[in-house]
Amino acid sequence: MANKSVWSDNRFWQRSATWVTGFASILLIWLTLDTSAQISMGNDEDLKNGVQKRVPGPTVINYKITYEMDAKRGHEVPVIGEKEKFFGRDDYSEEEAGALLHLGKLGEQAKNCMDCHTILGNGAYYAPDLTKAWIDPAWGPEGAMQALTGKNTKEEAMAEFLQHPDQYPTHARMMPDLGITAKEAKGLVAFLKHMSSIDTNGFPRNFGKMQGAVNGK
Amino acid sequence: MFEPFTDVVPSFFGMLNQGPLTLTIFLHTVIILPMIWIYFQEKKRLENEK
Repeated sequence: MANKSVWSDNRFWQRSATWVTGFASILLIWLTLDTSAQISMGNDEDLKNGVQKRVPGPTVINYKITYEMDAKRGHEVPVIGEKEKFFGRDDYSEEEAGALLHLGKLGEQAKNCMDCHTILGNGAYYAPDLTKAWIDPAWGPEGAMQALTGKNTKEEAMAEFLQHPDQYPTHARMMPDLGITAKEAKGLVAFLKHMSSIDTNGFPRNFGKMQGAVNGK
Repeated sequence: MFEPFTDVVPSFFGMLNQGPLTLTIFLHTVIILPMIWIYFQEKKRLENEK
């Protein structure tokens, strides 16, 4: 055969395809294992010893969570600070906090929050993104929601709103009354507080600058 | 070219992802270099077949 080019040779393409497919498979399996390690939940010990985890343990609800600009990383990161009372307590055990988060997660699934809201990048944008709802300035001491619901703390204001959203029409797109009980509301608020402590690489973008935001924009 | 590591949890992929395009350049390099090697092996084989 005269001057057969490598480019038109089947074996070259077969071997290249085998290499690329094989390498990519190994890489993806490795990436999956790497990601699993990164998103594994921390525990109470980590929180007490200041070990940073992307997903802190459930007892993070005992602490104050703020969203601060990290100049090095170029975006905001949740910062776990001093102890802070959550529904009057700051000594939830790992089991208690875990049970609350579980209740909140079940509630979130049962009431299908994602029909309207976004949670950790999943869901809809009909209603505000809930990923960092706990650190939304609207629920803080300077925000309108505590005065509106007549409560003195963030968690009580949130729980009150969740139980009677139709009484506090803050948006043109009013949240319907989903029949959330007081117990479920407590779980949901714990779930939201824990979620806001998750390091999401600055997602949603520029969240902390949304002071005075209108309609969640 | 080499920035201090800024990820929360240190990892190989995090290390590769500290600058613009560093992960992409790395992956393209490790995928394409063996293909060049395969190319010359096949070229040699075709020449020997002649």
